[in-house]
Amino acid sequence: MPEQLTREANRTANRPGLPPPDAARGALPDQVVMPLLDRIVRHSLDEDYQVVAARKTRSRRGRRPLSRYRAATAPPRTGRPRHVGAAVMAVFGVLVAIAAAQTSRNAPEENASRASLIEQVQARRDTVALLQERLERLRSSTTAVRAALVGSTQEEQALGARIKRLEVRTGFTAVTGPGVRITVDDAPHGDLTQQVRDSDLAILVDGLWNAGAEAISVNGKRLTNLTAFRNVGPAIHIGITPLVPPYSVLVVGDPETLAANLLEGTFGQQWYSLVESLGFVYEIKPAAALSLPAARPRRLRSVRPLTDDPELSRPGQGQVTAP
Amino acid sequence: VIAALGLLVGIVLGLVVQPDVPTGLEPYLPIAVVAALDAVFGGLRAYLDGIFDDKVFVVSFFSNVVIAAAIVYLGDQLGVGGQLSTGVIVVLGIRIFSNVAAIRRHLFHA
Repeated sequence: MPEQLTREANRTANRPGLPPPDAARGALPDQVVMPLLDRIVRHSLDEDYQVVAARKTRSRRGRRPLSRYRAATAPPRTGRPRHVGAAVMAVFGVLVAIAAAQTSRNAPEENASRASLIEQVQARRDTVALLQERLERLRSSTTAVRAALVGSTQEEQALGARIKRLEVRTGFTAVTGPGVRITVDDAPHGDLTQQVRDSDLAILVDGLWNAGAEAISVNGKRLTNLTAFRNVGPAIHIGITPLVPPYSVLVVGDPETLAANLLEGTFGQQWYSLVESLGFVYEIKPAAALSLPAARPRRLRSVRPLTDDPELSRPGQGQVTAP
Repeated sequence: VIAALGLLVGIVLGLVVQPDVPTGLEPYLPIAVVAALDAVFGGLRAYLDGIFDDKVFVVSFFSNVVIAAAIVYLGDQLGVGGQLSTGVIVVLGIRIFSNVAAIRRHLFHA
């Protein structure tokens, strides 16, 4: 047995295409020391051929010494294995033919599916383009709407401020804030001509409006831009409500400038000269917090249709006044 | 010559009959063909080297085909898919090329 192993090793060493085993390589098998691809290239031929050929050579060498090459190229022995080889080749041919036929048969399907895929891709791409266009349009319209929204918001704020101002001025809402408290009374021990009359109070109120008053009330009655003072007999009426002296005038406005502005205005001058000449009781004091009630809601006197025409919607124009 | 005749007969037979391959076996056919091609070229080279042996050829042919198909099947079952068959194709391709190179050396002495 050891002898056979040695011969086996010698045969391996003499195999064509194999490098002579040097000392280092001999210790390790091929698959350990050789790179994979090298090994594949070197052993591209099935080793079985060489093994079988070597075995044959060996068995033949027993009878007469022949070179390995001649032994291998010696004519094959029987006809039967040749037919086996031919049959295997036929099987191979069948395999090749089937594979080719199958591939060519599948080709139309694959092409069709590819064509339909390409079609789908094209369609989707068109859809994407359409959607992108739409997105662009929507985006620009969004921008426009947003700008419009900003404009409307500003307008709304302006209108809200105006409404607030108008509400205060027309006495629609109750008002609280700093201001001045004015007390007016008839001249003490005076005669009839030294009583405070409606025109006197009207002068004072006009002066206060001009001096920057935001809201005025007299004896708890809120004054609006439609309020009138009237004398009915000796008593002053606001609208139809009689007032009893002393008259307490509450004014919401800037307490620091109101009195000074009243002095500077025409009506204020007129009022002060009346106070001086007739001897009215007149007292003006700043107040930190005044609370003025809302005026009594008035009956609707006039309406006008809401139009988009800015000329018509401006106050005082296009007004339909009820009789 | 007989082998070439056999190949021709096989091709004609396959084309004439055109058997329908079962769908389950379809993925294994191309790689089986490549493996068979490797065995055929190996046999041809062995023949030109003068060490051709029918038995070895037949065994290597069928074992190549079966093993290649089995590797593809294994790859499918393991979920590595085409990678394993790619490896098989690479190895078989290298073998085929070097065998063909050896054949060329024999035929043209170049």
